[in-house]
Amino acid sequence: MEILNIENLTFTYPLCSSPALDSVSFSVEQGDFVVVCGATGSGKSTLLRLLKRELSPLGEKNGRVLYKGMPIDELSEAESARSVGFVMQNAAQQVVTDKVWHELAFGLESMGVPQNIIAARVAEMASYFGIESWYEKSVSELSGGQTQLLNLASVMVMSPDILILDEPTAQLDPIAASDFIATLKKLNNDLSLTVIIVEHRLEELIPICDRLMVMEKGRLTDNGAPGEVISRLGDRRELLCAMPAASRLYHALDAEEKNISCPLTVKEGRRFIESVSDNSVRSLVREEYTHSQEPALEFRNVYFRYDREQSDVLSDLDLTVYKNEIFCILGGNGSGKTTSLGVAAALLRPYSGSVRIFGKKLRDYKNQSLYRRCLSLLPQDVQTVFLKNTVREELADAGADISSLPFDLSPLMDKHPYDLSGGEQQLTALAKVLATKPRLLLMDEPTKGLDAGRKLVIIDILRRLKESGVTVVIVTHDVEFTAMCADRCALFFRGGIVSEGVPAEFFSENSFYTTAASRMSKGYFDRAVTVEDIAELCRKNTRIKGGSQC
Amino acid sequence: MRSFSQYNPVAVAVYFLAVAGIAMFCMNPVLLFISLSGAVLLCASLSGMRGAKHHLMSICLFLALALINPLVSHNGVTVLFVINDSPITAEAVLYGAATAAMVVAVLYWFRSFTAIMTSDKLLYLFGKLSPKLALILSMGLRYVPLFGRQTARIGQTQRALGLYKDDNIIDRARGGLRIFSVMVTWALENGIVTADSMAARGYGTGKRTHFSIFRFRRADIVFLTVTVALSAIVCVSIAVGSLDFTFYPSVRMADIDIMTIAGYASYTVLVLLPTIIEAEEKIKWKYLISKI
Repeated sequence: MEILNIENLTFTYPLCSSPALDSVSFSVEQGDFVVVCGATGSGKSTLLRLLKRELSPLGEKNGRVLYKGMPIDELSEAESARSVGFVMQNAAQQVVTDKVWHELAFGLESMGVPQNIIAARVAEMASYFGIESWYEKSVSELSGGQTQLLNLASVMVMSPDILILDEPTAQLDPIAASDFIATLKKLNNDLSLTVIIVEHRLEELIPICDRLMVMEKGRLTDNGAPGEVISRLGDRRELLCAMPAASRLYHALDAEEKNISCPLTVKEGRRFIESVSDNSVRSLVREEYTHSQEPALEFRNVYFRYDREQSDVLSDLDLTVYKNEIFCILGGNGSGKTTSLGVAAALLRPYSGSVRIFGKKLRDYKNQSLYRRCLSLLPQDVQTVFLKNTVREELADAGADISSLPFDLSPLMDKHPYDLSGGEQQLTALAKVLATKPRLLLMDEPTKGLDAGRKLVIIDILRRLKESGVTVVIVTHDVEFTAMCADRCALFFRGGIVSEGVPAEFFSENSFYTTAASRMSKGYFDRAVTVEDIAELCRKNTRIKGGSQC
Repeated sequence: MRSFSQYNPVAVAVYFLAVAGIAMFCMNPVLLFISLSGAVLLCASLSGMRGAKHHLMSICLFLALALINPLVSHNGVTVLFVINDSPITAEAVLYGAATAAMVVAVLYWFRSFTAIMTSDKLLYLFGKLSPKLALILSMGLRYVPLFGRQTARIGQTQRALGLYKDDNIIDRARGGLRIFSVMVTWALENGIVTADSMAARGYGTGKRTHFSIFRFRRADIVFLTVTVALSAIVCVSIAVGSLDFTFYPSVRMADIDIMTIAGYASYTVLVLLPTIIEAEEKIKWKYLISKI
């Protein structure tokens, strides 16, 4: 059954000359799982908001959105609120009330549902989503993943027919994000719920979706089964780089010309590799990485805890980062990664052990001199960097020279920092941080909420910084990013370092905490950790194969 | 089987209103002594040995209040001794002690009240009055910690970015001001998302209902009835004058009759109700365990 029908939808924001959406038409069947992808500013979010009447932006709208054959503007208020559920990006800001149980009941309270029915529905949802154990907690005690799950549950309690999600996992760590996506799939399977989702992280979504839609500059350019759509993408790099590793490999080897269907998962990727290439050349020759001998950041037997009654967050942390390298720290939630940056930036004081920056003890940096031309920290929540009303004032205030930046901020100058997209905020914050001319740059999750194209921009910036002699320490969950940019990386576990090494060695030794490319090629190729590595190995091997045939 | 704090908030609120109200409006030293003993007993059973500092403070407050009255008020006929030509009378001492007992008893009742009535229970009470008011309070309770945490985060980020040029108070104040101003923007921005989320879930589409996880059980009704009945007896005995007590010019108590005894007895039981409930629960539990 057709549940949603969009006919020739065109939308122009006030004071804008070109439309944000340009004659978009498509229909969605009951129970479809639809993923919408596209670069930042391609009109994805505008499209989603136009599907939910309460959230439709102001502007000039032409065309129709039909829900079960009826224009959504003609639905009753209650029906419109109930039938379409909407989950947004920022988990904490969507929460309205102070207790978990109250948040779950909020939607039903608004609809005037009687107490006893609310009690039954809320109880049912809480047990389905596994919320029972934190049912009576305050929402401020929840983790990001739990908060987003609560948002989903409090939308689902109204039993919507369509669920729309606008980058719901952008602010979550990978484990919480996988859980969230698995829950979505479960809802889709169990209730035949129609799901329409916009997301940057597609590695896990593409294999489970029924349909992939591609948006470019306000137009819907492709719409169909994911494998087919990806094989039709051609050489559009900014869209391709968001796709699963197996699909990127497929493109890198130009396999679409050979009439092979596009692989989506690691399993399919492995079969694909074996079908196109043998493995007589098992590994690439790499330059040996040697770090400089001068240490930039040293932790010696550092112990830290937030509260006397709690357990250690950092325990016996021993770590040296050398000058002029890009060092990535990986690890699960609560393993102490972020805390270690706080300690290095002298925001938190360890109770035992010593920290040296460029060979000088932290406490010898008097009068905030640590933060002048020495060390700078880019926090996880980049919004906390901004104090002014426009990007221009913000940069002027920090004394940043725009022309010397490795990226262009000039189109954003007169916008409010809070109005920028996640990627733009990240770059603006980075500009402000770089204005302090740090020699040691600490970054906490710099790729959080960024689309794949922006990640490449960040990697490029990091390489340039390295060339200019800056040491960079990055805390991240993003293994693909680490594999592409790190000189050395380390795994954090329970407050200390358990393993460290150059990415090629580090990732090929791990089986789970590693890149999709490494998982795909494990046992077939050695030390191939990125899609580019595998592609190159495949090319070498195919050539040998071809040669022997002649 | 529930401890006192798990009873329905309405019943608990009525209970505290009754015990504290009677103590506030009846200047009878016997009644006040009962009230004070009961209040201390409940507070101790709720917080255990942790409130030692608080108890010490209460003793000091009691002594101070009890001593001030005889020093400033010289009414009464029984002169105990004379300081600086001012007589210190037994009546004034007793009156001071009674007032002090009242203030300290009411403070103790409120301490137990705030320990038991957590924010969600208060919200439930307000929700009975108006669902809108309850929602506003609930949102407020959510915003305060959110705002505080974000302020702390911005503070840390800005410190690491060199917002403070130096380690001095003026510089710190200037930095604090800038953080506060951006927090206002942040709160407004945050509010927009929250408003969207509310609209998306049908806020304003019709008359709101109020959901809560508290229910009225049989035990709550029994407890509420007992509370109301006992306080009614006390009020009647106050009304008929059986609990009258005058301090000046000389101490005079109403004649002891059946209503006086009924009043004292009822108030004693009323004051001990929570302690009885707690004790009963413990005994029952022990008994059940022994059976298992």
